[in-house]
Amino acid sequence: MVSENLVKDVVSEPYKYGFVTDIETEKISKGLNEDTIRLISEKKEEPEYLLNFRLNAFRKWQKMEEPNWADLGYKKINYQDIIYYSAPKQKEKISSLDEVDPKLLETFDKLGIPLTEQKKLTNVAVDAVFDSVSIATTFRKELAEHGVIFCSISEAVKDHSNLIEKYLGSVVPANDNYFAALNSAVFSDGSFVYIPKGVKCPMDLSSYFRINSGDSGQFERTLIIAEESSSVSYLEGCTAPMFDTNTLHAAVVELIALDDASIKYSTVQNWYAGNEEGVGGIFNFVTKRGKCLGKRSKISWSQVETGSAITWKYPSCILLGEESVGEFYSVALTNNLQQADTGTKMIHIGPRTKSTIVSKGISAGNSINSYRGLVKMGSKASGSRNYSQCDSMLIGDQAAANTFPYIQSQQPNSEIEHEASTCRISEDQLFYLQSRGIEFEEAVSMMVSGFCRDVFNQLPMEFAAEADKLLALKLEGSVG
Amino acid sequence: MQIIEEIKNNELISNPNELQKICLNKLKLNPLPNTKSEYWRLSNKSKFSRFLDHSNKNKESKINLPYKKASKNIIRLIIGENNSINLEEENYSIKKLREKEVVDFIKKNISNFNQNDHWSDLLNHCLSSKENILGLNISGNKIPPLEIFSASSPDSLNAKTLILFFEKNSKVDLLQINLGNENSSLSQSTYFCLEENTSVNHGVVSYGESKSNLLNSLNVIQKAKSEYSLGSLHFKFNYARFEISINQLDGNAKTNIKGIQITKNNDQIATYTQMKFNGPNGFLNQINKSLADGKSHAVFEGSIIVPKIAQKTDASQLSRNLLLSRHAKIDTKPQLEIIADDVKCKHGATISQLNEEELFYMRSRGLTLAEASKLQLSSYIQEIISSIPISKDRWDLLDKILKEN
Repeated sequence: MVSENLVKDVVSEPYKYGFVTDIETEKISKGLNEDTIRLISEKKEEPEYLLNFRLNAFRKWQKMEEPNWADLGYKKINYQDIIYYSAPKQKEKISSLDEVDPKLLETFDKLGIPLTEQKKLTNVAVDAVFDSVSIATTFRKELAEHGVIFCSISEAVKDHSNLIEKYLGSVVPANDNYFAALNSAVFSDGSFVYIPKGVKCPMDLSSYFRINSGDSGQFERTLIIAEESSSVSYLEGCTAPMFDTNTLHAAVVELIALDDASIKYSTVQNWYAGNEEGVGGIFNFVTKRGKCLGKRSKISWSQVETGSAITWKYPSCILLGEESVGEFYSVALTNNLQQADTGTKMIHIGPRTKSTIVSKGISAGNSINSYRGLVKMGSKASGSRNYSQCDSMLIGDQAAANTFPYIQSQQPNSEIEHEASTCRISEDQLFYLQSRGIEFEEAVSMMVSGFCRDVFNQLPMEFAAEADKLLALKLEGSVG
Repeated sequence: MQIIEEIKNNELISNPNELQKICLNKLKLNPLPNTKSEYWRLSNKSKFSRFLDHSNKNKESKINLPYKKASKNIIRLIIGENNSINLEEENYSIKKLREKEVVDFIKKNISNFNQNDHWSDLLNHCLSSKENILGLNISGNKIPPLEIFSASSPDSLNAKTLILFFEKNSKVDLLQINLGNENSSLSQSTYFCLEENTSVNHGVVSYGESKSNLLNSLNVIQKAKSEYSLGSLHFKFNYARFEISINQLDGNAKTNIKGIQITKNNDQIATYTQMKFNGPNGFLNQINKSLADGKSHAVFEGSIIVPKIAQKTDASQLSRNLLLSRHAKIDTKPQLEIIADDVKCKHGATISQLNEEELFYMRSRGLTLAEASKLQLSSYIQEIISSIPISKDRWDLLDKILKEN
């Protein structure tokens, strides 16, 4: 009998992004009220419509109740005990990367995201967000030549105000849910992407989110607009230092795809997950939604979720345009006392729309890993199809794997298929691999890798390597 | 909601017995289920309130039986009409439970009930009088088939309760028929306790008339080495809920569930199942089908709970749904909650219309579209009703359903 402890050893690997950068920061005082919001807005020199958007969201948020349907157990969040704005002190207006605090550059270097010119990742443009502000965006010039706008959302508010005014909140309205309303009220920074008509974005775009401060929350907002016949692949990564307090992260991501456009959004989420006793870690409450507005448009979400103490995340697609396509590929790994409630929503509204859901959950330790998804066929979605598959793998007999698929159809001329299964790392297969001379750790890694392959195949090249590395860290010990 | 007002004002029952008192007290503070909870979220509110609009004080009318009792070999019981049975034969015995046994059993169960998940049972025990509770102790393995009827009277709300204890090594085929009358509501609560080594083949057929409503709750407790098979059919109700709760107390038991619900016009029929494995080596095979036409709404929610103790559980659940009209609606939510790691659990769900390729094949062989559709529907329904323990020549269920459609 293969010892279960061995598997557990392989699973528990220390978090290597847990360092804190000692840097002078500018923070506002704790607490949330209308003045806080006015202050954030003022600091960012925002136009009036945006301040109104924030205040409106805040008033709605005050009337809302924190959702509890996800069955996540966590201690009550004190929203008055959070710093809503924290930024590294820097000179006014940075004109080039040379003026960025070297400590910051070092931090991102350490995280494997070099921002300096000579070390820039080839063919990936990066927007690096540190606590509440964007530090730097690389390859801007090259992108501008193609008409692609890639900058932080605060810059976009200044330079592309018309687009922000038109699209911000159009996919996730300010009153959509409790955490989206909170984000709409206090969002600090994030990325903005605009791909003009007919342009295939020449390189992958990426954002890297870093929480550094232990008592401030991160509330970033991402908005991606793909005009007719354009396409883009966007990657997102996140890490945070180890603190024994819980930090709140409530982000909103909005995607808009017009006729024949396609957006691929990939996430590798590796926030600090807390220690073995469940102390500390990020509370990750994220609202991600894409709108396939145009005909034949396509939005594809892929995610590898390995971090956070609490994950509450349902990247969704609203399939409005005829023949639009939504995809969701997810690997969620939970260990120790992590809790993840994640899945997707596919709302079929337009005719002949298609969606695919592939979700793989791996639960180890005392963690809880739930898939929660909704597939809805509206009465006009004739000829639409959905296929969902959610598999769970259990490691150890203390972890829980739950599946809650909600399926709703009002359209006889559409098809919905859903499958789910649960398994463990089979001893027969382990024995077979070991008898062939493969080390135990490598065998486990191969099997987990095989289990997740459907999803990894969907990740962009640069990310697939990172995701592999991540799972390697979390699951495979020294074996790469 | 006349009944709810009466509960609040202590007017429901003039002289409540001990059980009724306990249940009334449980409901008085919070008489309605929480419509925001998963369990009641999809229930149509106006239909549900109509369920509670009928009076429970009318005199009960005699029941119209849907088919003849063909042979002497069948034991037929009607809840509320002939409750006194005491059979002591060579190979089997069927005895009426003593009143104290019944009261103690229900009391024990109620103590674990929460107001929301077992609201239907609590309401049932508030309303059902002693005469409408049938409790039997069944033992032996050559028991003739049992048929148990329960019905509502026109313009009334009636509550009927059935409690069956199956002794060790018993084996029985049992058909339970719930009949809804015009403009009526029926609350049926059923409890089965299966001792070790028992095998129960249970059929539930519920059908109503126009504007009839049904709350049908079934609670099954299975001990080790028992086998419980359920075949159920619900149709022709304006509003019906079938709540199944099965608990494999020590694992090592087998459960088979096959159910179908057929909705038309403006009907809403919902099936909720909860399967708990409280020991290792449990087995479940479940298939639930819906057929929704007209402006109707069919709901299925099934949950399978596998705690740490339930290693080597093998559970599968399939929800298959046919949506026949543009105005009908289907909701389905099969769910798994698993902690034990050495288990085989899977579920699946599909919603579609009749298979076009199959229709095309049959039409190319000379069948008309209507005939081909009918044939396809028949096979879809037959898979479920073949597991209901009644022979076709006694009561042709398939024919009845197809005629109704």
